Amino acid sequence: MTPTPELPPERTTYAERRSQRIDALASASAAEEGGVSLIKSAWRRLRRNPVFLVGLAITVAFIALALVAPWLAPWDPAARPLLDDVRPQSNPVPGPEAGHPLGADDKGRDLLSRLLVGSQQTLLVGVLATFFGLLGGLVLGTLAGAVGGWIDSLVMRIVDVMLSIPSLLLAFTLAALATRPSQWTLIIAIATVQVPIFARLLRGSMLAQRASDHVLAARSLGVKQRAIVFRHMLPNALGPVIVQATLVLAVAIIDAAALSFLGLGNPDDRRPEWGQMLGKAQPFLGEAPHLAFYPAACIIVVALGFTLMGESLREALDPKTRR
Amino acid sequence: MSGSTGLDPAHDTRTGAPGEVLVEVSGLEVHFPIKRGVVFDRTVGHVRAVDGVDLTIRRGETYGLVGESGCGKSTLGKAILNLEPPTAGSVLFDGVDIASLKGEALRRERKRFQMVFQDPMSSLDPRQTVEALLLEGMRAHGLDTDASATHTRLRELMSAVGLPPSGLKKYPHEFSGGQRQRIGIARALSVGPDLIVADEPVSALDVSIQAQVINLLQDLQEELGLTYLVVAHDLAVVRHISDRIGVMYLGGLVEESEAGELYDVPLHPYTRALMSAVPVPDPEVEDSREQILLTGDLPSPANPPTGCRFHTRCPWRQETLCDTERPQLRVVDVAGSSPGHRVACHWAEEIARGEIERHEVAPETTDESSWGAPRDDGSPFLAPDGPPVP
Amino acid sequence: MSTPMSTHAVHPVHSSEPLLSVRDLRVTFGRRGEQPFKAVDGISFDVRPGQTVGLVGESGCGKSVTSLAIMGLLPTRGNTVEGSAVFDGEDLLRLSPGQMRDRRGREIAMIFQDPLSSLNPVVQIGRQVTEVMERHQGLSRKEAMPKAAELLERVGIPDPKARLVNYPHQLSGGMRQRALIAMALACKPRLLIADEPTTALDVTIQAQILALLKELVVETGTALVMITHDLGVVAGLCDEVNVLYGGRIVERGDRHTLFSRPRHPYTVGLLNSIPRLDAPRGEALSPIPGSVADNLPWDSACAFAPRCPNALDVCVQQTPEWEGDDVVGLRCFNPMGVSR
Ligand SMILES: Nc1ncnc2c1ncn2[C@@H]1O[C@H](COP(=O)(O)OP(=O)(O)OP(=O)(O)O)[C@@H](O)[C@H]1O
Ligand SMILES: Nc1ncnc2c1ncn2[C@@H]1O[C@H](COP(=O)(O)OP(=O)(O)OP(=O)(O)O)[C@@H](O)[C@H]1O
Ligand code: SF4
Ligand code: SF4
Ligand SMILES: [Mg+2]
Ligand SMILES: [Mg+2]
Repeated sequence: MTPTPELPPERTTYAERRSQRIDALASASAAEEGGVSLIKSAWRRLRRNPVFLVGLAITVAFIALALVAPWLAPWDPAARPLLDDVRPQSNPVPGPEAGHPLGADDKGRDLLSRLLVGSQQTLLVGVLATFFGLLGGLVLGTLAGAVGGWIDSLVMRIVDVMLSIPSLLLAFTLAALATRPSQWTLIIAIATVQVPIFARLLRGSMLAQRASDHVLAARSLGVKQRAIVFRHMLPNALGPVIVQATLVLAVAIIDAAALSFLGLGNPDDRRPEWGQMLGKAQPFLGEAPHLAFYPAACIIVVALGFTLMGESLREALDPKTRR
Repeated sequence: MSGSTGLDPAHDTRTGAPGEVLVEVSGLEVHFPIKRGVVFDRTVGHVRAVDGVDLTIRRGETYGLVGESGCGKSTLGKAILNLEPPTAGSVLFDGVDIASLKGEALRRERKRFQMVFQDPMSSLDPRQTVEALLLEGMRAHGLDTDASATHTRLRELMSAVGLPPSGLKKYPHEFSGGQRQRIGIARALSVGPDLIVADEPVSALDVSIQAQVINLLQDLQEELGLTYLVVAHDLAVVRHISDRIGVMYLGGLVEESEAGELYDVPLHPYTRALMSAVPVPDPEVEDSREQILLTGDLPSPANPPTGCRFHTRCPWRQETLCDTERPQLRVVDVAGSSPGHRVACHWAEEIARGEIERHEVAPETTDESSWGAPRDDGSPFLAPDGPPVP
Repeated sequence: MSTPMSTHAVHPVHSSEPLLSVRDLRVTFGRRGEQPFKAVDGISFDVRPGQTVGLVGESGCGKSVTSLAIMGLLPTRGNTVEGSAVFDGEDLLRLSPGQMRDRRGREIAMIFQDPLSSLNPVVQIGRQVTEVMERHQGLSRKEAMPKAAELLERVGIPDPKARLVNYPHQLSGGMRQRALIAMALACKPRLLIADEPTTALDVTIQAQILALLKELVVETGTALVMITHDLGVVAGLCDEVNVLYGGRIVERGDRHTLFSRPRHPYTVGLLNSIPRLDAPRGEALSPIPGSVADNLPWDSACAFAPRCPNALDVCVQQTPEWEGDDVVGLRCFNPMGVSR
């Protein structure tokens, strides 16, 4: 009896089966979720970053508080429920008491309510100033970075001059030029100061994009110049600018506070603003430091929130950490 | 990877028979100004990246360009496509001088010649899906009029480069290096070009992946009758895929020949040195190989040597002619060399016949400070003598 | 057989005790909450005095991580290193950072792929070379300077005296790599680890550097670990070759056997997928299908199985064990039997 011949080992079959399986898996997962854009993958990484989460929590809490402040505040910030307790000599700033957990200011207005409602002005000034600054910077930076030539030189010279003046000083000067100080002078002054920062940043990243391979690839495809600028260069150049905007928001809030502190903001203290509250607390630093402490702490925490968020965003969008 | 690529040849606009001249480059020069100065930019010299190149590429062939880093291969490739405007010279593509075209006329012509880049990641816009990337060129040239035809065309392109259609919805970073290079190739194919300039198409890829992409390029050429200009520093790769090879040194061609002949009968001293320096994965060959070790480094292209550009490192250098007269590409009459074999060396015949002995070369003590800053920043300025300013 | 360039005739390599003995080296990366990633997954090899050992493999197979782990240069957080690397009777992996710093540069030196980033950009070349000698040999700078010039001359830098006062950016890529080699040799190390020392360089410069390394090994008896992805470089330089895949050694042999009779399907695949300058033209390349993204985990299979033309069913159910010793060996269920 002859032994059954040994079957040759099954050769290539496994590899084939396996690669079919991989293909099937790949197309199935592709059908499910489509592509994962860079933003999505950055978000996945951010979700696990405690620094970002703390920053995000502060920022979201701040924005939420600002939005519902009028309903949350126990008192009208302009009302003076504790006016009777104010004794200009013995007790200029009434302390905490029932219904007024933080006490009142020197005009007998509920401090907690003023802090809460004050967040609105702070947010408004910060966001609008940054927005207008970003807008101006975007226009100038795109012009300089995409057109180049003498337009670029001109824009950059102006930007350089503006950047050579300390920003707070420039904002101070601009705000002081206004005949009637208001929150709008604040916003415009701070926005103007931000324009050159954004313009320079955007121009830099536009130039980097212009020299990049994917823009060269688009040119070699024969894509029109306008499409190259708006589809390829600008979106890719915006990343660092958006991150910068988060950081600038923190600076804008602090600058706004500083200018209000110096009396260059909205003079009407029936509409509170943290910087302005800080300024008005000045005469009472000895007797009632808490009057300055609360708005100062609010400013610091909120600025910190934006900074933490901005820094971790910057890290997450950094091409070096991308995979 | 063999067989039909699935691309409909009717979609392509190619005309003309294989073998006729498709690209004729003459006297091409690209000089980059070297700028210095804080307030006002002064031009203090020029980097002669490409310095007088003549070559012709025939329809359907693969022309390979080799040479050391910085010799101007990529710049020449880009200048031929007018992606880097030439300083002088002309590039006749199918009778049209691309070098003199500008603006809209140039843009419209671009669908006939395309480029594949070295780094498949950086050459794909990270924010666009593969579909958007492939559609873009078609849209720019009005090739996307019929929605259902476009849909089929996209699928055909993907299958031609061996990717599943599901990849269309994905982003470049979701693919591996080899797959990204396939996307880059599909994008180049999307507008139906005659000529593809591939700049180091495989050097960023893993060794095992390189062969996949090389085979793909060859299959596509066969299927679609494409003409390639392949730029690479890897001689073995270039020899494998090219029909003809040009060897560059410091901005100029020093030798040009049919691919097999270049290896069998290298005539230029630089080509010989280059060939002998390529390691071969075979210990027997490695142990018995006679290496021609060059001394010193590539001189700076901002300040190229007089006469023959290679004379500072040439082991066959002669007292006369070499450092005074720049040799032109010419056909030489030596055994084994065919009429298509051109070389730029005054002493090519004598060297081939063994009449001139190889000799030691003392490393040139050139002023290395003219090497300048790393190239990545795109501004090769002359380096100062102190430490770099951080 | 005339082997004018081979090194092994000079030093009888297998007779001596290993200088470095790496056993079951494992490096796992992984942050909290992430899937741990085994970059190096049980690597063992020996290096003897005067021997050149090659580690070859594709990008990401763990070559650099292996060398960094041996040198104690991995980041201090985010990874775990297991196994041992015994150098001269001492386990390098158990040394304190201070002790390791003392060995580095003096007894063990390393050359990296990117010469520019491994040189200090604001310190003159001469100072960087003498610094090593000052630290490890207790020389004064005055004594060390002429030695530094000698070293630069030794590695083929023209006009070495003038180069001593140059900054790294004033040297070309090849020069910088030579300067780095000079620094590595400053204290006559007994072991030199070169991580892709020529990958960033042109072939003509690569040939110069490789010739230099060969000469040094022969003359000084330094043991050399050569890390590269280029099989050609290995063929000309190494006595022993280790082929890595997915963090493990899959095949080992002396270079003559490995190249003439490769047995692991991956080694064969690599050799068949690269065009050779001396091969007849017109032959199609046979690439390895797929990519490393297809790899299976080594724990329960052969990582190469999804790409392997020889794969059997057992290859996906079991880990192929290492069969062999510290001189030759293989990790495969179904190796190539015949010579190529
Ligand atoms: N945009 C530019 N501006 C100034 N100089 C440039 C520019 N692009 C290239 N060069 C210079 O031109 C020369 C040739 O560069 P090119 O990129 O063409 O070389 P290559 O042969 O492709 O080298 P590699 O193999 O490194 O890619 C180099 O000296 C380089 O520094
Ligand atoms: N610090 C790190 N953190 C996490 N993963 C790492 C780290 N360093 C390396 N790795 C991973 O370890 C694996 C092996 O990396 P290694 O650098 O050793 O590869 P290599 O073989 O040297 O490749 P190459 O040829 O590209 O240099 C890679 O997949 C890499 O992503
Ligand atoms: S011309 Fe002279 S220097 Fe130039 S390659 Fe020929 S022999 Fe060498
Ligand atoms: S163990 Fe199996 S899958 Fe792995 S290399 Fe050997 S034959 Fe191929
Ligand atoms: Mg190049
Ligand atoms: Mg490495």
